[in-house]
Amino acid sequence: MTSAPAIQLRPEFEADEIGKAATGDVARKLTLWERITDMNSVRKLTILVIVLAVWELYARWSEVSELILPKFSKTAEALLDGVFNEQLLIMVWNSLTVLVAGYFIGLLIATLLTTAATMTRFGSDILSTLTAMLNPLPAIALLPLALLWFGLGADAIIFTLLHSVIWPVALNAHVGFMSVSETQRMVGRNYGLRGLFYVGKLLIPAAFPQILMGMKIGWSYAWRTLIAAELVFGGSISDTSEGASGGLGWFIFANQMDLRIAHVFAGLFAVILVGVLVENIVFNKIENRTIRRWGMQS
Amino acid sequence: MSTNVTKRDAELPDLVIRREFEVSDLEQAQTGEVAIKLSWMERIWNVDAVRKLVILLSLVAVWQVYTVGFDVEPLMLPSFSDSFVTLYNALFHGDLIYKIWFSIKVLIVGYSAGLFLAAVLILWATASRFGSDFIAMATAMFNPLPAIALLPLAMLWFGLGTASLVFVLIHSVLWAVALSTHSGFEGVSQTLRMIGRNYGLHGFGYVWKILVPAALPSILAGMKIGWAFAWRTLIGAELVFGASSGSGGLGWYIFESSQNIETDGVFAGLFMVILIGFVVENVVFRNVETRTVIRWGMQR
Repeated sequence: MTSAPAIQLRPEFEADEIGKAATGDVARKLTLWERITDMNSVRKLTILVIVLAVWELYARWSEVSELILPKFSKTAEALLDGVFNEQLLIMVWNSLTVLVAGYFIGLLIATLLTTAATMTRFGSDILSTLTAMLNPLPAIALLPLALLWFGLGADAIIFTLLHSVIWPVALNAHVGFMSVSETQRMVGRNYGLRGLFYVGKLLIPAAFPQILMGMKIGWSYAWRTLIAAELVFGGSISDTSEGASGGLGWFIFANQMDLRIAHVFAGLFAVILVGVLVENIVFNKIENRTIRRWGMQS
Repeated sequence: MSTNVTKRDAELPDLVIRREFEVSDLEQAQTGEVAIKLSWMERIWNVDAVRKLVILLSLVAVWQVYTVGFDVEPLMLPSFSDSFVTLYNALFHGDLIYKIWFSIKVLIVGYSAGLFLAAVLILWATASRFGSDFIAMATAMFNPLPAIALLPLAMLWFGLGTASLVFVLIHSVLWAVALSTHSGFEGVSQTLRMIGRNYGLHGFGYVWKILVPAALPSILAGMKIGWAFAWRTLIGAELVFGASSGSGGLGWYIFESSQNIETDGVFAGLFMVILIGFVVENVVFRNVETRTVIRWGMQR
């Protein structure tokens, strides 16, 4: 045990030199420079420009072979060349039509499966067994089988796309349905909702954040699968006979085979562009109009 | 005014007077069976594992009966037993096990390198606004770019072989993990942040002790997505050029079998892909989740 310290007596004193309390600058005016760098878009644009400049300068001065890393200016030229002379836009369109077909059929099947699963416990068991088994199976691994069953062409790709969309969407929707709160379920029952109305008016809106998440994951799997399918099986899967021009993956593959690396980069730019547009514009719009507006997600 | 009243009166139905009565023979209230004993059948059927096993077995049975009973061309759809025997032979008498090991090795190297790079990027992003802007830009641009599309470039830069596989794997993991970790960090509540500052945490300690635990659900979600992308990319990449790197992996085994029109081999490969994916998603990640976010009550 420690003994208590001795009490210290300090001399009393009065401070009479304390100045009047003053508030410093509460709102300082920002300089022009600070105001400009505070703008998000300006900063991001600067980063983009710097990255592109570094790329251009590196490719120019380090004498890297054109085949390893083409200059940015060459890549931009190749992109324009692709758009105006080599039907790049049509290829993007070809890829997108296949993608959209596969995606929407997949969504439809996933909806049917999940709706059936909400009706009975047995259905729910079937769905969870199937998703646990098939969700980890990369769709692209089914492509060899799809080629065997449906032959070369769009059907085989759509089959693999279906597989890549159905399971993540069904999985997320099912998990979302399961976690709809008991209170909301009872409200629905109270209104006399049953069957399809119960799913459509209660479960789907309540689980919409998860459903949308599943749709986003499904889209990204489908996009990856499509590009991979067109790349891996190159010419054998896209119809590249006269007139038809194949898809975006085929553009990358064919140009890589011809060692036109600037065009490969241009193809990658197109892939990025489509991806950014869908993820940041389409899905963002849907989110703004549904779950953000409903206050389910900030 | 008075017309209104008369009008309303006119709409009123006639008053009905019901006779008073007394119920004298109400029976005593009875509670039915509160807890009935379940029969054996019901009790077994209530076990989740049993029901799922039954579903699995019936799927297999349907497949087997369909292929054997309807004489389906084995080149199009081999029977389950054939596929299973092929799998068994390939595993224990063939070299499938080495191929799987080859794939898993590459996957682990690529995955951990991707995680490491993501951690470095994220640390930079929490330290400076410039870093944060850079991450936001890079993830928005590269996350939608399928890693497999970089494979042609990777083959050009790193040659045919493991190095280019690892490069595309890193690309597939890095952005998914960085994206969800970054948004997870940004979503950490101001209260938790201030508690950390109050404890005098800053720099690395702040990230590790406050931000990482608080954002673990989204970090784990990012790691799961990263794993899924990596697994898909690896199988896809091996389908292309396992051939040129000598000892191909699991994807190459599938491709080879399909080229030789040994469809039972394709199914054997698919079984293994499903098995590995299932184990990683439902055993590895599930365990990590029960030990962290579920135990901490952050996620059910």
